Amino acid sequence: MSNNNLLGRRNFIKGMGAAAGVAIAAPAMAISEKADGVKWDKEVEVLIIGSGFAGLAAAIEATRKGAKDVHIFEKMSYFGGNSAINGGLFAAPGTPMQKKEGVQDSVERMVADQMKSGRGVADEALLRHVAEHAVEALQMTMDAGSEFHPYLQQLGGHSVARTYQTTVSCGAGITQPLYKECQKIGVKTHNRSKFEGFLVGEAGEILGVKMRENYHFGEDQPGKVIKIRAKRGVIMATGGFAQNIDLRMAQDPTLTAEVGCTNAPGATGEGMYEMFRLGAIPVHLAHIQSGPWASPDEGGFGYVSNYSIYNFPHSMAINRLTGKRFMNEIADRKTRADAELSCRDEKGEALPPILITSYKDSKKHPNTKKVIKYNVGWKFDTIEELAKHFEVPLKPLKAQIEEYNSYVKSGEDSQFGKNMTKAKDKYIQAPFTVVRLWPKVHYCQGGVQVNTEAEVKDSFTGKPISGLYAAGEVCGGIHGVSRLGSCSIPECMVMGMTAARSMMKA
Amino acid sequence: MKKLNIVLALVLTGLVSLSAQAVELRDHHKEVIGKDCKTCHDNGIKQFPSDQACLQCHDIDDLAEQTARSEEDRWQNPHNNLHYGKDLPCQECHGEHKPKKPMCSNCHTFKFDKHKE
Repeated sequence: MSNNNLLGRRNFIKGMGAAAGVAIAAPAMAISEKADGVKWDKEVEVLIIGSGFAGLAAAIEATRKGAKDVHIFEKMSYFGGNSAINGGLFAAPGTPMQKKEGVQDSVERMVADQMKSGRGVADEALLRHVAEHAVEALQMTMDAGSEFHPYLQQLGGHSVARTYQTTVSCGAGITQPLYKECQKIGVKTHNRSKFEGFLVGEAGEILGVKMRENYHFGEDQPGKVIKIRAKRGVIMATGGFAQNIDLRMAQDPTLTAEVGCTNAPGATGEGMYEMFRLGAIPVHLAHIQSGPWASPDEGGFGYVSNYSIYNFPHSMAINRLTGKRFMNEIADRKTRADAELSCRDEKGEALPPILITSYKDSKKHPNTKKVIKYNVGWKFDTIEELAKHFEVPLKPLKAQIEEYNSYVKSGEDSQFGKNMTKAKDKYIQAPFTVVRLWPKVHYCQGGVQVNTEAEVKDSFTGKPISGLYAAGEVCGGIHGVSRLGSCSIPECMVMGMTAARSMMKA
Repeated sequence: MKKLNIVLALVLTGLVSLSAQAVELRDHHKEVIGKDCKTCHDNGIKQFPSDQACLQCHDIDDLAEQTARSEEDRWQNPHNNLHYGKDLPCQECHGEHKPKKPMCSNCHTFKFDKHKE
């Protein structure tokens, strides 16, 4: 969905129409069946559904643990899922780069930061499990050939700098090497293959799945459903449901089509809902996170998201109606997304706020040039030009810049309590670069409950559903109310690896 | 398929700097395929063709070369891009019976002048 002009009401509505179309195009729900007397069309050893971080890591780990016949099935025509289009940010405690930069960090500290942002309902055991194995997962990406920027970043809500980012500033810097590694080690990958339900044994164990072949997302196309026996079990790595407006509004009615979405179109949630039908425990479905760094001037994650994540620590976010700051630019995601959504004109209509950065500081990020080139950000030589372009009242804006710069100098933000460490010596001064901000639905904290073995628990027995494992965003409850940035990639990879290990020793 | 390749190669040589998306090529499809729908519809007439059907004649490396961009924008090559490399199935952006938007437009404002929707 691309709202190129959120200022105009008409375009805005048009954008909503397009988004509603996506929801309608969402495929019919899958149905699970008893497997007795079933004629299997095919048999595989390890069956993985979804080809993002979790699915790819699971496939590699299963192979390393001795599996000979590993298959990844992907609904979309391309591999990588949502993982291929995010920011490629990877948090881990006790990394080589932290040692080099002299950053004191630990598993405990990372878990404590995440518990705080989770606001009391995060799953501490799972967070600790992920943090303990995060360096190992990072190593898996590097072994496959991922390359990272030579500096650490400190994202909103983190108490220290612990985030790596791929040199291409995108998750594809990880999914592409992992995908190639999968091909190298003989993992079989199947695209255009849509999961249509589980095939369940006498004792409720998962024996296999129904799979629609030659599936074309969003198209009316018959394909063919085959029944696949999974000898060791099934790993569900199907991601979240951020693209399914009906499902997300059922959980949180504020997440209308007015709030865009950064996810790949395939994040429609039917894998997760099918596990619920089977008896999996739903957790925290209403906790859906919007990215406060997104732009209404491009679709999806686009170029601006990474630009603003990098620049927030030394930038000023301004409400265009007042010319004043309205939030701590590096507060956690929910705090900032809520603050942005409150920026509205006199009629209550969306008035996306702007992020002002000094060009000399913003230009260090590789996206800055592209943001300007593709008209999703602007460069101004004077504050007057900037104010005129965005119809911001000039006098209060000038006063705000002066005030903010005094915080840069003193190192203390008495307006919003922002940590000014990374803003040191970075005064807001001409020339400026500016992007518009508007939250986009980014991540579903909710999903099926899993334990630290990546086993899916049954709601009535409390025991794991035999033969079923889940990893990544399809799992719920781990992060609680708000997930910290860069904590999903380690989670997906660690839990994918964990699922493979559990399956191989089951 | 070899024969088809030769015919295609001959026509291609005649059309310098031809883009895979250009309308000329669609006309040309008519010429090569004639009325035999099965040339592309390898999964049966009522099913969409496989992506491999396109690759019977089109070489992904050649396509990537044709749509290459400058070093700075090299990852905006639709046939060899940052997110999916050269593994992006043809029908994501191209449809013979109906117009399609380039997939990049889901998230980016890039212009592909020769891409006909």
